[in-house]
Amino acid sequence: MDLLETTRQAFVLLFSGDPDLWAIIFVSIKVSLTAMLIATPWAIAIGYLLAVSSFRGRTLLIQLNQGLLASPTVVIGLVLYLLLSRQGVFGSLHLLFTRQAMVIGQVIIALPVLVAFTLSAVQSADPRVHETTLSLGASRVKTALTTLSEVRFGVMAAVFSAFGRVVSEIGCSLMVGGNIAGFTRNIPTAIALETSKGEFAEGVALGFVLLALALVVNFSLAFLQGEGGLR
Amino acid sequence: MNEAKARDEPLLAIEAIRKRFGARTVLDLAGLSLHAGGSYALTGDNGAGKTTLLRVIAGLETAEVERARYRGRDVDLLGYPDWLRREVIYVHQHPYLFSTNIRDNISYGLKVRGTARRERQRLVDEAIRWARVEHLLDSPVRKLSAGEKQRVALARARVLQPRLFLLDEPTANLDRESRQQTISLIRDLCDVDGAVLIACHDPEIIQLPGMLRLHLHGGRIEHRWSPLSPRRQQGDSAASDEAGPGLAQGLHWQPVAND
Repeated sequence: MDLLETTRQAFVLLFSGDPDLWAIIFVSIKVSLTAMLIATPWAIAIGYLLAVSSFRGRTLLIQLNQGLLASPTVVIGLVLYLLLSRQGVFGSLHLLFTRQAMVIGQVIIALPVLVAFTLSAVQSADPRVHETTLSLGASRVKTALTTLSEVRFGVMAAVFSAFGRVVSEIGCSLMVGGNIAGFTRNIPTAIALETSKGEFAEGVALGFVLLALALVVNFSLAFLQGEGGLR
Repeated sequence: MNEAKARDEPLLAIEAIRKRFGARTVLDLAGLSLHAGGSYALTGDNGAGKTTLLRVIAGLETAEVERARYRGRDVDLLGYPDWLRREVIYVHQHPYLFSTNIRDNISYGLKVRGTARRERQRLVDEAIRWARVEHLLDSPVRKLSAGEKQRVALARARVLQPRLFLLDEPTANLDRESRQQTISLIRDLCDVDGAVLIACHDPEIIQLPGMLRLHLHGGRIEHRWSPLSPRRQQGDSAASDEAGPGLAQGLHWQPVAND
């Protein structure tokens, strides 16, 4: 395999607008963005509540979340597969090997990342934020929104990290999506497949896209944090 | 309750407050009463419980409170009611300004109270002029000096027209000019109908006209000192009556009560 030649072919594929290739990219972005849109509001609310409340079982919940943070995506895929397969609890929903199943899997993968980062950001907020909003007469919801706004760079880091994790995960997408061409085949599953078939150019092209996505996300975060760092 | 009776009642009267951290009692006060129109300087060594007292009254900290009455009405300082939040405002020693801009900071409390936009703008403009921060409106909040932040925080509090201001060491760690500007604003606050309770060491604040001194020692109010010159001595003979029985009668620095 000539690496230079493969890379050249990869760029040709990308810039010639190869429909199959762009369909794969479209599936990846659509599934991951949908999962993020679903997971983010809930996860931020959970992270905030875990940070500011005290109740029995709070520590256990935080530890459980930390545990989920490190759980392999293929295991999440396996559990979801068992739940969604015909004999599974949710088998009647016929969701296995659909984009919806991939979205559900990515929501489960994104949640603990978002919760953990939000929790940490809110915990690190200056305690005077809460006291000031309270003293100025803000409701609990307004206090929460103001606090989250004050730690917005931490919350953004949560969103970008979670997106980075879901867009690049392969285990769960492969298990519950099934890597069906034009339907559930996304960038990571396609890279694995094309490489195993010896089609390195397509694998490399998709690898570039994934890398570019990761870089854009990280540069955006660095830029925004840079702005915030001036505070 | 009729109007006349309401006027006679202290703004805030607390029979007793106790606050312990483990075995250490940081506050053990009896018979605290603050009257509308009164200005009180809460003095005492570091750790005497000044900030704790302010924070308990502001509902930011819990304590054992025996019968608190606000304008003659029993209040629960632990389950701090929303209506009381609108009457009492606490300003930190180092105020926190939201990372928006000065105008948004000052209008924050008005927004959460649902004040109409036009009225809000008018009040905020007036507060900006009062705090003399017009020239800072384009500066990022993070670039403001400690004194400028303090002035914005005082404007943010004053714009809400609370009946009780609780200021925690407002001039601590300020340079001479900032201190003078802050003291000038505090003097204005003391001239409104609400009460002002200021935890401080600053002799210039303690000696402001009409300022009553409450000295905390070992968690108790050890002395109550009356002012050299009663509040609004010039042109308002009723001022000393407003300041409360036993507090504003004397004209010299001397202890008038030992609790």
